[in-house]
Amino acid sequence: MDTVIVTGASRGLGRFCADQLHSRGYRVVGLGRTPPEDAPYESREVDVSDSASVAKALKDLRRDKSVYALINAAGIASMNLVVTTPPETVKRIIETNLLGTIFCCQQVAPAMIKRGSGRIINFSTLGVPLAIKGEAIYIASKAGVEGFTRVFARELAPHGITVNAIAPGPIETALIAKVPKDKVDAVVAQQIIQRQGTPEDVWNIVSMLLSPESSMVSGQTLHVGGA
Amino acid sequence: MPVEYEEIESFIREEVAQLTGQPAGSITENTVLVGTGRVVDSADLVMLLLAVEDFARDKMNAHFDWSSDSAMSEARSVLRSVGSLSKHLSQLSPDA
Repeated sequence: MDTVIVTGASRGLGRFCADQLHSRGYRVVGLGRTPPEDAPYESREVDVSDSASVAKALKDLRRDKSVYALINAAGIASMNLVVTTPPETVKRIIETNLLGTIFCCQQVAPAMIKRGSGRIINFSTLGVPLAIKGEAIYIASKAGVEGFTRVFARELAPHGITVNAIAPGPIETALIAKVPKDKVDAVVAQQIIQRQGTPEDVWNIVSMLLSPESSMVSGQTLHVGGA
Repeated sequence: MPVEYEEIESFIREEVAQLTGQPAGSITENTVLVGTGRVVDSADLVMLLLAVEDFARDKMNAHFDWSSDSAMSEARSVLRSVGSLSKHLSQLSPDA
């Protein structure tokens, strides 16, 4: 049975993807700062922004050839103007979104290299191409994820591993729960497909990237809704 | 029982030979692993490091941290050559 590691599995898109994967027969290892007690799959407590915490949580999987995929869905956001964003908030967003993605990739990739195949799916945001005002720090962290994705894809290509990023617009999750509706509508209006995306829309792309037929898709950022 | 340096170097030479397709006899302690004149490409180097990590754990009960700053700094890298990597491994302390 193939193992898929999902970060940010406590809630939001990470939880949705983890549930979908579990229902489709994958062994799911969900990672989160506060692992859900009701999850029907294995959950582990981890702070992805701490490389030692990631290494400890995934130590047993580093050599496990059943590890097929890593989905880096852990992420935090904070809408604020750059000049009014506290430095600690800047640091926390970059550490969780960018460093967290890198640390998890570093820890999991060796298992996939030994296996000779694998899928890594990172999460960016439609905000990168749309340059949404008030999200500069969040977008900076995600632009970093996109750059990392492109380069890491090249490094892992010889080992049969693809690395891609999914960039959703505003999806109805806890991440944007406090964002006013008019702000959400304004972003949706800039998408090519002017409909607010759903977790199912994101899952459909995750599912496509996980399939063996997607072995020639790597280093790409797929924009949910289009930009 | 501690693993002798010769056994470590022999293991690394055989791994490099296997990865490069070169005869084991042509791989020496001076064979370059990173930088100018290297015999392994980046993909093979990763495979070598994974094998060495396993060797350190299984044979020496030691942890080989190949993502450390010192390991990956080319100027003083333990990965320069078969010999420097073998020496680094031989100096690892067993895990508590």
